Amino acid sequence: MEAVEQYKHERMEQAARVIRKSQLALQRQRYSILTKTGLYAVALLFLGVSLFPIYLIVTASLKNDVQIFARPPVFLFSPTFKSYHDVLLVRSLSQVRFIVNSLIATILATAIAVGFGSMAAYGLARFEFKGRKDLAFWILSTRMAPPIAFIVPMFVLIKSIGLLDTWWALVIMYTGMNLSFSVWILRGFFMDIPPELEESALVDGYTRWQVFTRIALPLVKPGLAAVAVFASIFSWNEFLFALILTQQNAKTIPIGITGFSSSMGIHWGPFMAVGFIAILPILIFTFLMQKYLVRGLTFGAVK
Amino acid sequence: MFTPLQSSKAARRRTALILIVPSCLLLAIINLYPFIYALALSFQKYNMTRAAQGSRFVWFANYGAAFRDPRFLNCVVRTLIIVTGAVAIEFVIGFCLAFVLNTKLRGMDTIRKLSIAPVTVMPIVSALIWFYMLNQRYGIVNWFISFLGVEPQGWLTHTTLATLSIIAADVWQWTPFIMLVILAGLNALPEYVYEAAQIDGLSNWQQFRLVTVPLLMPVILIIVLLRIMDAFKMFDLVYTMTQGGPAGATETMSYYIYIQAFNFFELGYAAALAILMLILITIISQIFVRWMYREEEATAA
Repeated sequence: MEAVEQYKHERMEQAARVIRKSQLALQRQRYSILTKTGLYAVALLFLGVSLFPIYLIVTASLKNDVQIFARPPVFLFSPTFKSYHDVLLVRSLSQVRFIVNSLIATILATAIAVGFGSMAAYGLARFEFKGRKDLAFWILSTRMAPPIAFIVPMFVLIKSIGLLDTWWALVIMYTGMNLSFSVWILRGFFMDIPPELEESALVDGYTRWQVFTRIALPLVKPGLAAVAVFASIFSWNEFLFALILTQQNAKTIPIGITGFSSSMGIHWGPFMAVGFIAILPILIFTFLMQKYLVRGLTFGAVK
Repeated sequence: MFTPLQSSKAARRRTALILIVPSCLLLAIINLYPFIYALALSFQKYNMTRAAQGSRFVWFANYGAAFRDPRFLNCVVRTLIIVTGAVAIEFVIGFCLAFVLNTKLRGMDTIRKLSIAPVTVMPIVSALIWFYMLNQRYGIVNWFISFLGVEPQGWLTHTTLATLSIIAADVWQWTPFIMLVILAGLNALPEYVYEAAQIDGLSNWQQFRLVTVPLLMPVILIIVLLRIMDAFKMFDLVYTMTQGGPAGATETMSYYIYIQAFNFFELGYAAALAILMLILITIISQIFVRWMYREEEATAA
């Protein structure tokens, strides 16, 4: 469609202008050696502190039981993959089922939140009706409430439907939690699209649903990415609902992890291995989707 | 907005409904319904283990009991301390770091991308790794401070230290987040304002105070508010690291409500506490938003 192409062209020119400006800014800054050293020192200290616990997890997951508790701490050692072996293959300790449960819950919850959320966002952005603003505000406000407030009623409800300890329970809760920011972010994105694009599509004979799927949705891809990133992170890391709503079958990784601590103390080796498996996918995913993270985490408030 | 170019108003309304209803339905189930149910529960005395006896309506008795419950009042204070401490530290450090990492030095970009890592770590993993680091015997923190001549401390077994430990774990995880958002906000600031300021002969510090800070206010406001609301709900850290801490020193509201509901099974009381918590969060958010907007208007004038 011509109009869409033209719109995309304008956006690319805008982006090019921004890049040129920042290049100019780059040329303008000169720092003394002293300032530079100071800045780097602070930045590297921050990086070190941020990464140190993660470094601990990785190294501890490769240590044997003696080395984990060694004082002074062991920094050079020959790694062993026993912890990973235990955690994935030994039946009594196996976390594989938890990983699968987490994956299913996360993927489904993210997909539905993006799907339903984009629909609702589009509806709220483009259609006028009474109470539109109140509805939008209510959807946002659902994020304000502390999960602990919902947990008892939801536990009772889900138990009575017989969905306790199933994937569905988690998918329902996580999708619901993800919907609020999904709608909020995407509504902003949809409102940024010039209505003329859609109107010319309608003139060309597109149905309103086709306008949504073929014109509007592709144009908000960054928003969809932002929602997907944050929804995945939230669903994967979620603890409280999984704790209450699962018992045996649908336990997710976070709950599996708590299984490592018993009255006799914490089984550190396997925990470190699972811990790393738990954080690795999100680390990689976030690193790749960096630029969408800010938008996702602030509900589109910061662009 | 759509012009009357499309077909009937009914068709438009139908499309709008199809688009919006699924989300609203789901949200009504997991948000509206539990809220109403919790409200109703809060007016009853209902112990799950004595379900056979049923529940009876006691109206505001639960709420009255809450205000006379020393453990709950302690929780409120503890939660406020932890939230204020954590968010304040996160904001100050994150704010300064945003400027440091925004300088266009070589490698700063990579440092920035790597330092986001804590934000993505599963809170339960973060809690346990901090538990590991803070252990009195084999934790690495005590090993570090031994170089400074300080004795090994019981980080999770002393009341003040336990509170600090929880705050530290939260600060570790969320400071990069604040840094990232402020940095994004900084990069979104328009160039021409700075050019005008330089023409006007403003010094760097004046530029910072009169241009940067006021323009960043919306971003700061939102991010601090978000952090406050999230910090209030803190559960994972307390559940894992201290279970309410030595003698209730780190017992946050979320944790206490959990205890009431799933240890004591007093669902009615737990529901009342949850509603009170919701009210408190709302009040604090409102105060905060109004205060910050007044600041913003003052600086704009």
